Amino acid sequence: MNKKIGFTCAYTPVPLIEAAGFSPFRIFPESKAPDQAGHLLHDNLCPHVKKVLDRALADDLPELEGMVFINSCDSMRRLADAWHEAKPDDPIILLDLPSGINSLSLDFLSKEYERLAKTLFKWNNEPFSTEKIKDEIAKWNLLAASVKKIEGIMSRNYFPGIASGLQEIINTAATDSTDKALVMAQNKIEPEKPAKGGQSPVFVFGNLLFDPKVYDLFEEWNMHVTASDFCTTSRFVTQVDTKADDNIFRSMAISYMEQTPCARTMDTTKPGNIAQKIVQRAKESNAKGVIVFTLKFCDPYLARIPMIRQALQKESIPFLMLEGDCTMGSMGQQQTRIEAFTEMLGV
Amino acid sequence: MMYDHFDNAVKGITDKLNQDPEGINARKKYVLELSKLGKKLYSKDENIAWCGVTAPFDLLGSMDVTSCFVEFVGALLSSTQTAGYFFEEAEDSGFATDSCAYHRAVMGAVLKNAMPEPDFIIGTSSPCTAGLAILENFAHQYKKDFFLLNVPQNYTQDAIKYLSSQLEEMVRFVSDHTKRPLSKQKLGIALENFNTSSTLLKEIYDLTKTKPSPVDNNILKDFGTVITLLMGSQEGIDICQAFKDELNHRIKTRRHHDSKEKIRLMWIQNRIQYPFPINEMLEDLGAVIVVDELNDVTWEPMDPDNPFESIAKRMISIPFSMNASERIKHLQDLACAYRIDGAINPCH
Repeated sequence: MNKKIGFTCAYTPVPLIEAAGFSPFRIFPESKAPDQAGHLLHDNLCPHVKKVLDRALADDLPELEGMVFINSCDSMRRLADAWHEAKPDDPIILLDLPSGINSLSLDFLSKEYERLAKTLFKWNNEPFSTEKIKDEIAKWNLLAASVKKIEGIMSRNYFPGIASGLQEIINTAATDSTDKALVMAQNKIEPEKPAKGGQSPVFVFGNLLFDPKVYDLFEEWNMHVTASDFCTTSRFVTQVDTKADDNIFRSMAISYMEQTPCARTMDTTKPGNIAQKIVQRAKESNAKGVIVFTLKFCDPYLARIPMIRQALQKESIPFLMLEGDCTMGSMGQQQTRIEAFTEMLGV
Repeated sequence: MMYDHFDNAVKGITDKLNQDPEGINARKKYVLELSKLGKKLYSKDENIAWCGVTAPFDLLGSMDVTSCFVEFVGALLSSTQTAGYFFEEAEDSGFATDSCAYHRAVMGAVLKNAMPEPDFIIGTSSPCTAGLAILENFAHQYKKDFFLLNVPQNYTQDAIKYLSSQLEEMVRFVSDHTKRPLSKQKLGIALENFNTSSTLLKEIYDLTKTKPSPVDNNILKDFGTVITLLMGSQEGIDICQAFKDELNHRIKTRRHHDSKEKIRLMWIQNRIQYPFPINEMLEDLGAVIVVDELNDVTWEPMDPDNPFESIAKRMISIPFSMNASERIKHLQDLACAYRIDGAINPCH
């Protein structure tokens, strides 16, 4: 089995990890580890970040050869600092991720991705190889295309179990290997169960929602997830447009920055554009309503919710906001609200 | 409402200063200049830019743009006890109750039309993602153009080049809006003024290191953060000079010995803005806040022949822009230099 590299953010390009001969291991904030992060980070801080740190402090992780952090938001940046404090011997790389999308930021990010690639090859004592990176990107793109196909099927009809199945595929890519995820995806393209009616079509988005069981619960609660936009779902499996630039790292920078972005990334030529994108995704996926799952204390998302709410209201699309830690643990508390919402939407 | 507030402040402080033209009152002069800035922001006949905290105010000033970070207004609303009214407005519109109070207050003020409409907005990724998110909301709400300065946290050649290129882009963006090109002469003067102010700041901070310190708990409150709004101008130099003179005067007249300083404290990040008698409480205990975290000069002098790189280096060098170990190292250096007995870290 390959040695593992830990990471926490969807802007981490998995093909670079695999090209360097490592397996990816995305650290999800799911653990029975005791709450200890408060020793190093403030209590009013992102629960995702704190739970990831709890896992590190409790050694609730497989053996990792190194950690990749992305300066995507203040909390992630501080996680890198806290990790260094908690595990000072771990090799760590922290990438600076620009907030805006323009030529200068793409140039800068491409250099950051190149720095990441070179560091990973060095950590594994492997000679740096652009060819290997391109090969891994090709596989990753096949996976991204399969994920997209499954999402297309999801948006057209309600097939029980397809949403949780898709999540299992994505989690495999995040915590094991692209190869395995690809095999799973190719087997899932044809739904196992026939299409059914009677569920309320809903577009869900937010920070992260990684537990496949959550999607099964949604179905029990009368919801048909037509599409999702989380950093643990399609936003994670980014198709890398290799033709975007001659430089492979710039192609990656363009693809990662221009995909449906996390709330922390903005198109400064269209302030508040995230709201329009959410409306567009909801409409494209034939959803009748939208639910957002945000992490408590997540400034980038919480500050954009009023704009999103306003844009959805303008289109008469019902909207439900749920705040928590985005794990199964908090989901039970949301059941009544979700059921009431889907009942209101009807079928 | 806000224009009247600043106008009254300008009149009131000017009257007081005129009554005692030889008086030693640096803080009054400082508040007067800030009130004049506030008045300009609300006067409707200036080119206005709402900005992030680490924006290059000297560069913007040299382009005849009246600029300010939004948290300045948040602090003002808090200190005048009007923030509650604006919190309600922001929260009713969906802004989370546990989000930053500075930003909720100013967002409420935007929604209540209590903030002057800017000509454009300059966001900065440092010091916080919340500040950037609020400025995007400003741009969305006012339908104004938005320029974003990404401040990298690593002090590398690539990072400096990236930020200095962004500053050049920003100049083009500003010129497109004001229809005025950057005058190299004006920028040169602004940077010279900035350097003169920086030298004075270093002298001020050296004076405050004296034991007992000539400062009281109020005189240099949040000084390092807010003086950046004036640096680059003659007014900034005059204010720094006034503070230096006042501290020298205190030392000369041994007034600082009256403080009965028993405990020397450092204040981490910025002070409490709402009315709360912490300064007096500390004073009763013989505790003096001798240094605020951002009361320091962390940058090299600006090079008028290489302005953008100089400014970029300065922006990255601010402790909030760097990683935690750099910030902690900075705090440790201050702790040693000021011979402090303890530190206060508030959370707003």
